[in-house]
Amino acid sequence: MLHSEKRSLVRFLIIYLLSTFLLFSLASWIFYTSTRDHLIQTQRERLTYEAQKLHSALRLLHQSNAPLLSYPSTPPIDSAIFDSDQHYIFGTKREPMALGVVAEGVLHYEQRVEPYYLGAAHLMVTQPLDQRPIERLQHHILLFMLGAGVFFLLLGYFLGRLFVAPMRDSLQRLNRFIQDTTHELNTPISTILTNIEMIETFGGTLSHESELQRIAIASKTLSRIYDDLTYLNLNHHYHREVVMLDLSRLVAERMVYFKAMADAKGIVVTIACVEAVMQKMDRNDAIRLIDNLLSNAIKYNRPHGRLIISLDTKRLSIQDTGIGIAPKALGEIAQRFRRANSSEGGFGIGLHIVTQVCQSYQLTLSINSVEHQGTEVIIVWEE
Amino acid sequence: MGRVITIILLGVILGQGSPLDQACLSCHRSYQVPSELIYRRYLLQYSTPQAIEQMMIAYLQHPHQSTSIMPPQFFLKFPMKEATALDTLTLQHMVRAYIEKFDIKKRLILKQ
Repeated sequence: MLHSEKRSLVRFLIIYLLSTFLLFSLASWIFYTSTRDHLIQTQRERLTYEAQKLHSALRLLHQSNAPLLSYPSTPPIDSAIFDSDQHYIFGTKREPMALGVVAEGVLHYEQRVEPYYLGAAHLMVTQPLDQRPIERLQHHILLFMLGAGVFFLLLGYFLGRLFVAPMRDSLQRLNRFIQDTTHELNTPISTILTNIEMIETFGGTLSHESELQRIAIASKTLSRIYDDLTYLNLNHHYHREVVMLDLSRLVAERMVYFKAMADAKGIVVTIACVEAVMQKMDRNDAIRLIDNLLSNAIKYNRPHGRLIISLDTKRLSIQDTGIGIAPKALGEIAQRFRRANSSEGGFGIGLHIVTQVCQSYQLTLSINSVEHQGTEVIIVWEE
Repeated sequence: MGRVITIILLGVILGQGSPLDQACLSCHRSYQVPSELIYRRYLLQYSTPQAIEQMMIAYLQHPHQSTSIMPPQFFLKFPMKEATALDTLTLQHMVRAYIEKFDIKKRLILKQ
């Protein structure tokens, strides 16, 4: 995993988990408070019921003629009665209670008594708050938060990896592009410098035809790299001059341009072009299209292989006997910086440019390839 | 001899009863007026001993159906008593003793 990718993933996870945690904490808190209130309310309702029972009992006691009056007691609920001046009369606790005064964690309920049975104007029932259901609720919420935390951690990690994957792909391709660029520029520059050095060393004693040819090939390669990169960079901004173009003549011209490269690799070139095939195109677009196809066909051809160029009024076909393209790579081959094979130099922008040109002029591009046997690129246009 | 005198004195005291008995309850008994029932009625309406005391004194000094705690039907059976001859202080003591005697707190026990 790249450092930047790891950093992005960690940042994403922190933000994701933090926001999820905050959201769940808020939801859990709302749920907890409402459920706790409901549980307390349930216990309060029991107090209300006990107060009603006590009120009925007071009425019966008031009417009783028994020498001793048994005050009802239902532990753990305590109760007491008070006169109209709120003075304590009697209660279930040993020590007198004060109306409305209870210790913390004790629920209480007060009710007025009318008429004053046994002289009681107020009755109060109290009960220690039963914490067990609230503790169970807290326990369940904690378990839920833990479970949700683990689940969202795993989900976040999975999502993070999923979101970071395209960025990782782009970064890797960009890194490879930079490496390829330096390599692609280094090779022709080295060739030029080496051959110039050789000419300088041997002076005028020898013929320098081969050195000059190498310098020419290297210069053309540099020129083509520059043209391709410029084309990609300015594709949408430069002014196109679409004219009727003689493709037959242009193919022949470009083949002359690439002859040195093909000869250097011992490739046998066969050209079968119909005369004067005319097509409405910008000349630079057509050059980029043909150059990239020819360059690929030479570059990925095997030494002493064949290159067959055929052109008629409907289509242009460039066929090589090179390394071919694997079937699974065929679908992605036209993407920017995508290379089916890294054995040769290149940026992986050639077919991307070809695809763009084809789309601009509504040309149909098809690639037929058999791995280790060769590739045929066909461009079809309407007559 | 001393023992005989003590027994005679005790007999006199017990025979005469408490001042409350002499001043109030003896008549209640002879007229069969339910003393505790009266106290319960006061309790039901006035709640505090102070309020009960005040209302009882008011009735005893100026007996009338409007100041009585008993319903009008009660006076069909029992005649309206005359105003008390006791002075206010003594009457206050008697009423307090009456309330104390029938105090509900003394009879309440905790049901186990």
